[in-house]
Amino acid sequence: MSVRNITLALALSVLPVLAISAPVLAQDEALHESQLTPAMQEALVGGGSLVVVDVLGAVCDFCALAMTRTFERRDEVAAATVDLDAKTLTFVLHEGQTMDDATITDLIRRAGYQADGISRPEAL
Amino acid sequence: MKAFVSASALLALGLSAPALARPVSYEGGWTAIAEHDRSMSAIWGHYTPHHRYSIGYRGEWHRDDDHVFHGAQLTWLAKRWFGADYQANIYLSGAAGLAYGVDGNPAGAGPAGSVGIMADWETRRWFVSYMARSFAGDTTGASAMQAARAGFAPYVANYGALHTWLMVQVEHSPEADEPVGVTPLIRFFQGPVLAEIGWSVTEDTPFFQLQYRF
Repeated sequence: MSVRNITLALALSVLPVLAISAPVLAQDEALHESQLTPAMQEALVGGGSLVVVDVLGAVCDFCALAMTRTFERRDEVAAATVDLDAKTLTFVLHEGQTMDDATITDLIRRAGYQADGISRPEAL
Repeated sequence: MKAFVSASALLALGLSAPALARPVSYEGGWTAIAEHDRSMSAIWGHYTPHHRYSIGYRGEWHRDDDHVFHGAQLTWLAKRWFGADYQANIYLSGAAGLAYGVDGNPAGAGPAGSVGIMADWETRRWFVSYMARSFAGDTTGASAMQAARAGFAPYVANYGALHTWLMVQVEHSPEADEPVGVTPLIRFFQGPVLAEIGWSVTEDTPFFQLQYRF
């Protein structure tokens, strides 16, 4: 078997993997690395949808904890995290679930903070 | 009695009493706090039913005055300012309960309470705060204190990483042997745990605070 054939075989074997993970990778590239936890990655692969919220006043871990716990208590939410550098809350909704902007804004307020913009994966 | 009536009047106005800790959490969240400074040791357990206030138990051992207090405390987040890079807060708090003498203090059990105000401003790099608190007990007397704190984070860490702060606290307790105290301290902060360790250079006594949020 020539080097060319071995290279071709390797490329063909990798293609299906790339095809499956391409949508997730595309979303990853638009986000800060720390915005996607393994649980969020898993939920995205499972068909979940991504929501990113710009947040005012998030300056410490207690702020981040308040928001992640508030959102992760919701049945629609698979996983959530906060990036203090990006000043965002990012969460993944389970496949087929939705959450409107008013609900998101209210949940942020109940966590003690203020939403300053909401975007969906296709908007990134 | 007069002091207690004054404290009760303030409590009736909805005020309350914090130290340099923030027991108001997210709705449905709990906060446990233990603190020990140059004149008092205290434990709190608080529940946050609404993002603007919390309620819970507070126990205090006033070591200088040899009395203890057990009571319910309400903390109200009166105002929070939000910015992309900062947060500022004003808290009012008050507690009402029972105080009695210990360690040879013959004071019997009597109603007691406290009122307080705290303000803070913080970014991920800088922190300043101020608090004032007044305590009054029917059998144990009255006391007041105020404290200011400034802090600096030598590095900025993201959520989940270890945050470290270098802080200095200046306290003023008019009734204390040393009315003005200075306490340098280090704050470690990671996820649900906040721990502070310091030393009162005025009275050569340790300072610590531990907060756990769940």
